[in-house]
Amino acid sequence: MSFLFRLAARSAWNRRLTLALMMLAIALSSAMLLGIERVRHEVRASFSQSVSGTDLVVGARTSPIQLMLYAIFRIGGATNNMGWDSAQKLAKNPAVAWTIPLSLGDSHRGFPVLATNGDYFRHFHYGDGQALQLAQGQAFNDIFDTVLGAEVAQRLHYKLGDHIVLSHGMGGMHLTDHADKPFVITGILARTGTPVDRTVHIGLDAMEAIHLDWQGGARIPGLSIKAELVKKFDLTPKTVTAVLVGLHNRAAVFGLQRDIADDTSEPLMAVLPGVALDELWQVVGIGENALLVVSGMVVIVGLAGLVSAILASLGERRRELAVLRSVGARPFDIFLLLALEGLAVMLAGVLLGVILLTLALCALAPMLSAQFGVTLHPSFPAVGELQLLLWTIIAGFVASLLPGLRAYRLSLADGLTPRL
Amino acid sequence: MKSITWIGGIVAAGLLVGYSLRLVATPAAAKPAALVAAMDATDSTPYKVGDHLQQSPDLVQSPYKPSNKSGDAFKEIAWESLIPKNWDAMAPFKGLKLDKMEDGDPRAVEALLKAKQYWKNAPIDPSMDGASVRIPGFVVSLEREGESLKEFLLVPYFGACIHVPPPPANQIIHVHSAKPVKDIRTMDAVWIDGVLKVERSDTMMGSAGYSMTSVKVEPYVDNSNQ
Amino acid sequence: MSHAAIALRDINFTWPGQRTPTLVLDRFEVQAHEQVFVSGPSGSGKSTLLALIGGINNAQAGSVEILGQSMQALAGSGRDRFRVDHIGFIFQQFNLIPYLSILDNVLLPCRFSAYRRERALAQGADLLAAAQSLLRSLDLAPTLWTRAVTQLSIGQQQRVAAARALIGRPEIVVADEPTSALDSDRQQGFLDLIQHECEQTGASLVFVSHDQRLAQRFDRRIALDEINRCAHVEENA
Repeated sequence: MSFLFRLAARSAWNRRLTLALMMLAIALSSAMLLGIERVRHEVRASFSQSVSGTDLVVGARTSPIQLMLYAIFRIGGATNNMGWDSAQKLAKNPAVAWTIPLSLGDSHRGFPVLATNGDYFRHFHYGDGQALQLAQGQAFNDIFDTVLGAEVAQRLHYKLGDHIVLSHGMGGMHLTDHADKPFVITGILARTGTPVDRTVHIGLDAMEAIHLDWQGGARIPGLSIKAELVKKFDLTPKTVTAVLVGLHNRAAVFGLQRDIADDTSEPLMAVLPGVALDELWQVVGIGENALLVVSGMVVIVGLAGLVSAILASLGERRRELAVLRSVGARPFDIFLLLALEGLAVMLAGVLLGVILLTLALCALAPMLSAQFGVTLHPSFPAVGELQLLLWTIIAGFVASLLPGLRAYRLSLADGLTPRL
Repeated sequence: MKSITWIGGIVAAGLLVGYSLRLVATPAAAKPAALVAAMDATDSTPYKVGDHLQQSPDLVQSPYKPSNKSGDAFKEIAWESLIPKNWDAMAPFKGLKLDKMEDGDPRAVEALLKAKQYWKNAPIDPSMDGASVRIPGFVVSLEREGESLKEFLLVPYFGACIHVPPPPANQIIHVHSAKPVKDIRTMDAVWIDGVLKVERSDTMMGSAGYSMTSVKVEPYVDNSNQ
Repeated sequence: MSHAAIALRDINFTWPGQRTPTLVLDRFEVQAHEQVFVSGPSGSGKSTLLALIGGINNAQAGSVEILGQSMQALAGSGRDRFRVDHIGFIFQQFNLIPYLSILDNVLLPCRFSAYRRERALAQGADLLAAAQSLLRSLDLAPTLWTRAVTQLSIGQQQRVAAARALIGRPEIVVADEPTSALDSDRQQGFLDLIQHECEQTGASLVFVSHDQRLAQRFDRRIALDEINRCAHVEENA
């Protein structure tokens, strides 16, 4: 039996160029299959970890998922804003324990800028109820102070005391800068593994200050208010993008949600983060399943290629098989020989695929963390992935039986003297 | 004949891979064939907004009597048991003679509004504190650990956070799951087993409620035997 | 009579799927230590005869006895085992497995047969030495042993094949047109080597060929197309 293994191995090695290509196809397709499965679970877990202890996200009445994505994950386009009065009224509601007002819109070298107040550092929790920690420095003191997320500081090599200039809008290049009002870095947050890391935090008053002499997205020509003079003006914000709300009693969330929805003074909505995420995954799940099906088909294509490569070689191997029969190989041994070849290449391909996936995830993790605030952990495959792997291997096993069977029947028919 | 065997074999291999995808896909997300709108989950579940879960009718008639035996058996209760026994939903109508009123009488309308407000502010039943219960309901996700749900609200009817007025405080249970639960989404129907706790509130507004650290959370299966 | 190395009697064989039989003969016998030249053009039933001797197929009627063992009495895998234990084969060409070394090719029967393995160990200190001594006696220099199979000439390949057929000293050697692919001046030399080795080990030799010049070297000659009543000889073989 072990001799058959060696024979199959030598035979495969002899045709290594063709088989290597097939193995690569299987490796890439199984990497893709596993990768989709892994990434989708990691993204879900990462998103759930991004906010904890927040009962409601309140904003203008748009789409709940869009509000969540924009306010918490800083992804996507700006929604309508809500009025500051409504935010104040919310904070005074007896059921509410704390609120965190958020304002988005500007960016710094690709990283979003979040305007908020001290409540953010006191009340914002993530993951398993963890609070934000400052790795260096302190939170806002003066109006043009800024606190950076860990990723921003690391990627742009900033340290305390550096000055930065914010850009208007969230696009990539050629944005107008708020060059006349630079900010000084007074704090850098510890790494959280959430979108907080890639955010630049400023005060709500600072957000007002830098837009004092702006209108409709551009500077008013000729109008210029110097940085030192901004305090002379009223810096309370008129609108905010969203308000995070924490309640005294979590079970009371429905009542408050209803009240906000029924409020006739301003069209607002209140979103439960957990529920909105569930809905998001339901919608995204359809696309994910489609991707999985496509990768499954690619795996099958790879297996079909392997099978046809081995089947094609059978024609030239009939004499070789006759020789083996003359030295005592049974037809079952011939079957094993061919099946083992297919099986070995398929197993090697899947193994290579897992390795490729791990390498790809390691390479992509920094990019995903910087762009989306999603952390990927290269870890041992989860149950779902192992299941996929198992089915792929079973499919490959079944597929590799085919050339074995063909060889078996050919061998029976040919005997010692194949008629070619 | 031989070519049929080969094609059959490759198709079988393909079916195997496809089946594994189904196994992976079904618990985590909606079926790929169903197009589900973001808000409306009714296509993929058999429940409509306002549906309650089936429980045996005598549970409703004979409300929960806490037994003094400290067993660890979880007794099934109905949501009605969470309402204080002496609380009367018809209290705002006391003194009004509805059959003597004319149609559209403003006092009737006002009484109905008050009744709804009365229901909304209904108190909880302190005697349920420490009860080991088993109750079915619908999930509203709050906190997850990774992909598993560790904290959620349990409500009596489907769609409690959309389209319809929310349930009052005594019809909501704030559940912490001892072990985070996999494969569960908002508006999934579940049975929970656990010990009820009555939460004291710390404000004057009396926003107390029921909470529970659930020992077991399992999917609800409709075994209607009545 | 039961000391015959090969004894076929009253054979009637039809290939599965064919309507007419391919081999019908009363008697085909090879004694122990005997060397027989079997001639027959294409269509005379050569392949069928070899298949029956090798135990690949069972005849529908008649008996096949190799070294006293009835082939019909054995199951398929038993016949495969018996074949490698007692018969060595040499084919016309493509005798060798291209992805194995020369020595591995020679030792192939020892991997499948414990019996041949035991007897081979008697030929040398270990299997490798036995193979090497056999190659040497077949005029293959040691420098050739490390070459790849594809780098050998046809004549060298045939001699390696002969070594494989002879390792472990099987009782019967069947050679199916082994010289047909060789140059005419090499053919006699090859035949000399084979016959000498078979005499040394006491094996019976069944040498199938259409080349009548080689037939002179044999004591006994059988024309298959004469004893096979179903021989269907093609016009231009």
